[in-house]
Amino acid sequence: MTQAPDKEATNILSMNSVEVLYDNVMLAIKGVSIQVPKGGMVALLGSNGAGKSTTLKAISGLLKAERGRVSRGEISFDGTVITGLPAQRRVEMGICHVIEGRRVFEHLTPDENLEAAAPLSMNRATLKTEKQRIYEYFPRLAERKNSQAGYLSGGEQQMLAIGRALMTQPRLLMLDEPSLGLAPFLVAEIFSIIKKINKEEKLSVLLVEQNALAALEIVSDGYLIENGRVVMHDTAQALKANSDIQEFYLGGGSGTNFHDIKHYSRRKRWLS
Amino acid sequence: MELVFLAELAANGALTGLLYSLFAIGLVLIYKASSVPNLAQGGLTMVGAYIVLALARDIGLPLWVAIPLAAVVMFGFGMGIERVALRRLAGRPIVMILMMTLGIDIFLRGTTLAIWGGTSRSVELGVGYDPLFIGDVLISRIHLVGAAVALLLFVVFVLFFRSRLGIRLRAIADDYMASWSVGISVERGVGLSWGLASIVAVAAGVIWGEIQGVDQSLSLLLLKGLTVAVLGGLDSIFGAVLAGLILGILENVGSTYLDPFVGGGSRDLIVAAVLILTVMLRPHGLFGRQDIERV
Ligand SMILES: Nc1ncnc2c1ncn2[C@@H]1O[C@H](COP(=O)(O)OP(=O)(O)OP(=O)(O)O)[C@@H](O)[C@H]1O
Ligand SMILES: [Mg+2]
Repeated sequence: MTQAPDKEATNILSMNSVEVLYDNVMLAIKGVSIQVPKGGMVALLGSNGAGKSTTLKAISGLLKAERGRVSRGEISFDGTVITGLPAQRRVEMGICHVIEGRRVFEHLTPDENLEAAAPLSMNRATLKTEKQRIYEYFPRLAERKNSQAGYLSGGEQQMLAIGRALMTQPRLLMLDEPSLGLAPFLVAEIFSIIKKINKEEKLSVLLVEQNALAALEIVSDGYLIENGRVVMHDTAQALKANSDIQEFYLGGGSGTNFHDIKHYSRRKRWLS
Repeated sequence: MELVFLAELAANGALTGLLYSLFAIGLVLIYKASSVPNLAQGGLTMVGAYIVLALARDIGLPLWVAIPLAAVVMFGFGMGIERVALRRLAGRPIVMILMMTLGIDIFLRGTTLAIWGGTSRSVELGVGYDPLFIGDVLISRIHLVGAAVALLLFVVFVLFFRSRLGIRLRAIADDYMASWSVGISVERGVGLSWGLASIVAVAAGVIWGEIQGVDQSLSLLLLKGLTVAVLGGLDSIFGAVLAGLILGILENVGSTYLDPFVGGGSRDLIVAAVLILTVMLRPHGLFGRQDIERV
């Protein structure tokens, strides 16, 4: 299951037939393979319970905190196998996972949220310029940088969660449903900022979304995951044109998501 | 005359109260990082005092060496307790963790009894017992010193929680998962809070040991310390200081007026009333962190 060397050079993340077990019994993903090219932007789509968050946690190492573990397969980051490494080590290597539900540090100010995420080794001057950089991407945060983060609006909290992740100096940013519960204009604003950061900093992005319409606008390709398996992998263009995707995930106009859809036909399994 | 007497009661009550705060700050540090009320804080305070005694009386080091050295030893000891006994319980029900800290407290009492026996010994800080008058008000010198130490620690910790390390500890207190996600070591943070609380225990142990002698009864400070911490809000250092002042004054003034009616013992009644009423009427205490509910 090892990759060809030329692929290792072009992919920042490569996940090969990964299985995840929770509590040693619950098989949540069943052989997921995903590649994220260096500097690329990839979407991971799927309905509720499909295994999207589990996939991200396997990559970031946060599985351990939920009594889950990778029971098969291999994950490598920039050519290094990271499957068994602790989460903290993976952050140091440059993987940052913005977890589901915009979990900002509620009793800290946005400014303190950013400081908390900066590595302790970062010196004062760099810390200041790094914070400045985040505030330039998210001017709304700058306006409220000294109020309590718990009282920010949902959109501002999502921006803060992303900004906080950027403070760890990631090379791969993983976002778990950043659009959840946000008004369409905010989704558009946040997604355009993510796209901008991806372009300007060559930051690779793995974006988990139920909002396929918005996600497919900014990524180059996407994976569709159902019941813990990848059932489709194609370019964003092709996915948008795909009749099944259109019917199930894009049909309802803007803001469509998968909440009502139970299962995607596995006949359409092109790649796994 | 009556007014001077009242002032004296209030002033000495306030000083004693700050000594409760001194103890309670240790509880708050651990609670802030891990939401665990540390029932072993009394035991830690007692051990802190014994270690100072061992270094100063048994080995013969001067106090200005013995106390900082004891602080270093206790810092390691506190981190060790977290590492060995508590880390494995992460994610278990809070009662299990509480019972563990209770077990540690009992263990520490038993161990000190086995090593140093149960005879009360004095720290001999050399503060002096001759009366000190501020205006017409008679003040206890050792209480004054202890209160100053409490206020100093208060300032130190307020500043600490604004530092980058302190901000990280507060982040941990807010959300373990989010902390891990940005590379903050929750385990090390909680360990650090135990280490710091153990340093506070040395300060409290020395002052209280000087006042009432060093023996196993020092660990009973937990009851008043916990009352103060709960009244202050459990995770607020400022709350602990203010609550200490309130409880100290209430207790000293109240008991003087109540004792003749109930035939003594009203101090404990006042403490009990404060604890029970706080839990009933204001469970988050005066300055406790409330979970934010956004509209
Ligand atoms: N901590 C856990 N322990 C046990 N089972 C879990 C745990 N977390 C998730 N699961 C199970 O694993 C499966 C995949 O869950 P996961 O959270 O990865 O889905 P998801 O695609 O992110 O869904 P959603 O869109 O609802 O967030 C689900 O069946 C879920 O019940
Ligand atoms: Mg999810």
